Amino acid sequence: MPATTNRKDNAEMDSEREDRGGRVPLPGFGDPDREDWASRSQPAPDRRDGIRHARRMSNWTLAALLAGTGAATVALAHQAFPTATTAGTTAATTTGTGTAGTAHGASGPQVNHSVATTSGSGVTVTTTTHTVNGKTVVTHVRHVPAYHDN
Amino acid sequence: MTMTNATAVASVPASWWPVVTGDTTVAVVQRAALGTTARLAVWPPENAGPAMTAVDDVLSALDLQASRFRPDSEISWVHRGDGGLYMLSDGLAEAVRVALAAAAWTGGLADPTVGAALISLGYDGDFAALDPDRPAPAPAPVPAPGWQSVRLDGPLLRLPAGVLLDLGATAKGLGSDRAARAVQAATGNSGGVLVSLGGDVAIGGGPPAGGWPILVADGPGPAQPVRLARGGVATSSITCRQWRRAGRPMHHIVDPRTGLPADGPWQTVSVAAATCADANAAATAAVVAGDQAVPWLAAAGLPARLVDHGGGVCHTSGWPEAAGGRLEPPAASHVYLGAGPVGAVR
Repeated sequence: MPATTNRKDNAEMDSEREDRGGRVPLPGFGDPDREDWASRSQPAPDRRDGIRHARRMSNWTLAALLAGTGAATVALAHQAFPTATTAGTTAATTTGTGTAGTAHGASGPQVNHSVATTSGSGVTVTTTTHTVNGKTVVTHVRHVPAYHDN
Repeated sequence: MTMTNATAVASVPASWWPVVTGDTTVAVVQRAALGTTARLAVWPPENAGPAMTAVDDVLSALDLQASRFRPDSEISWVHRGDGGLYMLSDGLAEAVRVALAAAAWTGGLADPTVGAALISLGYDGDFAALDPDRPAPAPAPVPAPGWQSVRLDGPLLRLPAGVLLDLGATAKGLGSDRAARAVQAATGNSGGVLVSLGGDVAIGGGPPAGGWPILVADGPGPAQPVRLARGGVATSSITCRQWRRAGRPMHHIVDPRTGLPADGPWQTVSVAAATCADANAAATAAVVAGDQAVPWLAAAGLPARLVDHGGGVCHTSGWPEAAGGRLEPPAASHVYLGAGPVGAVR
């Protein structure tokens, strides 16, 4: 994932700085301790400074490229597969003690026949299935149950 | 022989019976409960056993807490006191809190203080035992005293004398929500669950691919298949639970403002919302609201399907036009609030 790659890349750069035994201000990035550091640090030879500068630039360029590529990939995925994104991943948030907020990434099974009916209280639909000549025939029968109020 | 989801359920308790749908990936069972039918669908099918037990426990508890038709229920005990202060169980306190919050949200159109009005109209006992055609006219209508006359502070209920609660606008939705949560807990949050109490549907966990397939029905016409991947959906209708008083038709959805059966243009309203209790309250309020139902539902962003007395259908807020379309309810609940005080004593 892009974010992970970024963190890893930053960690590598952190390690590189630690190996040097001192903090190196990056070009264009303000360092609050920069002047204090500058007054204490020893100047390095010009050639080594140039190589380090190039390596740092290379690392940050790579990080920026990876982050940009990741962001573009996510954006394109949202545009290309909006239903796929929402079909398997649902996030419902309610307050208090209602239907608990659900967040799940796993896709559920394929369910092709209705499992319930919403209708006026007491009106239900009973679903029956028959196999005729190898073909499934689903029948919905509406009825009002004669159950007693408890 | 092809295995169906009925055979996938290893053992079904006596109170439940399997429902064959043609899918082997889910187990579907149903039972009689709360004066109607409770239906349960779970995946994977192996979760059916603990799921049925969890739903049984929830429904038994809710019935003992909130049924005004059971003399041994907690709410009947409250009503026998004819006003005063009552320390409620957590379960009934939640049921009353949800009902009061629904009343506040709907501007009093779904008001739990319609109990006396319903009894006055003749819905005074087990519906199956009611005389469907009473010769005696109904007494003068009893407008609801109003939800603001009731106060709930934590578990402490203050109920004025003469006020009878009927939690019908929210109780089934609450029961479905509770049952769906209980199944999730009982199955270790594995798979997914759908619970329907008399057509008021709550879901939990992961839905099937594309959402749970359900039917939206009204009258003898064809039902509309839709998919639900989050939240809940509920339907209120005046086409069922009807009776007559002196030849005058009555039904169970009462306009709190008049104490009479709602007489607006809609015979059935189905609503999708963040929770089943939200949907339940909104559907009932829409039937009562009449001409104001559509703008209210639209302002609330609630997908709804309204059917008028002539069979005309109206959709709001993105209710799918096509068969198999997906319901996209808003995420925020309006009825599950904190445990702070609700209502006020006038």
